[in-house]
Amino acid sequence: MADDERRRFDADPEAVERSLVTLVLTVVELLRQLMEKQALRRVDSGDLSDEQVEAIGLTLMHLEDRMGELCDHFGVAPEDLNLDLGPLGSLLPER
Amino acid sequence: MSEPVPAHLADRQIALVDLLDRVLAGGVVVTGNITLSIADVDLVHISLRALLSSVSALRPADG
Amino acid sequence: MTEATPTGVWLYAVTREPVPGELTGVAGEGVRVVEGHGLAAVVGDVPLGSFGEEALRRNLEDLDWLSTVARAHDAVIGAVVARGPAVPIRLATVYHDDDRVRAVLDERHAEFAHTLDFVTGRTEWGVKAYLDQQPEPDESAARAPASGRGAGTAYLARRRAAQTSRAEAEDRAREQVIAVHNRLAALAADACTHPPQSRALAGHHGQMVLNAAYLVEESAARGFAAEVARCDDECAAIRLQLTGPWPPYSFASLEES
Repeated sequence: MADDERRRFDADPEAVERSLVTLVLTVVELLRQLMEKQALRRVDSGDLSDEQVEAIGLTLMHLEDRMGELCDHFGVAPEDLNLDLGPLGSLLPER
Repeated sequence: MSEPVPAHLADRQIALVDLLDRVLAGGVVVTGNITLSIADVDLVHISLRALLSSVSALRPADG
Repeated sequence: MTEATPTGVWLYAVTREPVPGELTGVAGEGVRVVEGHGLAAVVGDVPLGSFGEEALRRNLEDLDWLSTVARAHDAVIGAVVARGPAVPIRLATVYHDDDRVRAVLDERHAEFAHTLDFVTGRTEWGVKAYLDQQPEPDESAARAPASGRGAGTAYLARRRAAQTSRAEAEDRAREQVIAVHNRLAALAADACTHPPQSRALAGHHGQMVLNAAYLVEESAARGFAAEVARCDDECAAIRLQLTGPWPPYSFASLEES
């Protein structure tokens, strides 16, 4: 293979892992945001008890903390958690 | 005789992304069998592949 | 005689004006002209090894290669436009030979002439707008202790407030973007919008809410820039960025491809 081709296909294992981690964390973040929106809708709809609201809030709060820890652990900045869908824009709202 | 024109005009710093908006999506498109090749380049495709290849490429420190 | 490397003819622009000599093209080749129908096609001979159809598809995916070639392509076009009105050609338009180029000039001369008239005395300017980030309220300070009563409820209240303020900021920004685009388009011979840029390439400046191009009379360029600055001052929800001057890339194609 020519040098430039080799460079293109030569996957640095660490970098590939980092890309995969970012992708996985992006999906987790997407789910977190969707759950948060859903939770807020349900709270607003008024069909949850105070205890339920508190429980959901705690869960989401801990999930957000956990996401922060994972990002720190993998050295991924929260702003990097996104997927560019081209004409459809980004997967997640940009910060 | 015309004098040589500098390779890059003016002092404007052209951001690659602004340039790609224009040269990939702008300009006249000429298609048909008289053309050898038209790269109808999809910016999404490029940006994803470029992103992946730039992440995975080993870059020597001396460039 | 050097070895016969198969070459194609890369097209940069179509113009009526004389073209500067000693321009260097995308393959480091000397740029030359093919004439026909009162028009001049600005071309260069490029080796098919890197610029033929298959090679292009590969190479255009290499951001470094693309960057070098795009800039070289733009540099030639810019030099041509500096001499007079020209129709920029999209990147990676390659012909078998000069005869094919002449055939294009022949077939499309009316369209080229129309575009040349349209861009005469006019320059393209780009305006991008970003959502002006309001600083998030300091959540850590307002936070109840994690084990305290009501911490979850308080968290949800904060998230709802953040969501609402974000939605309001986006609504304001949208209104302002529409107003700005209309104001600027009124100063231009033509205006168009491009899709928001890929963040991977554009970097983190905030959310892009406008990526527009305006074709402005050369004499009106200063006034246009002043208006952009005024809009930036007046619209609190967005930040504007002016780029240019550009060759009229965004206004050169008259037919939908």
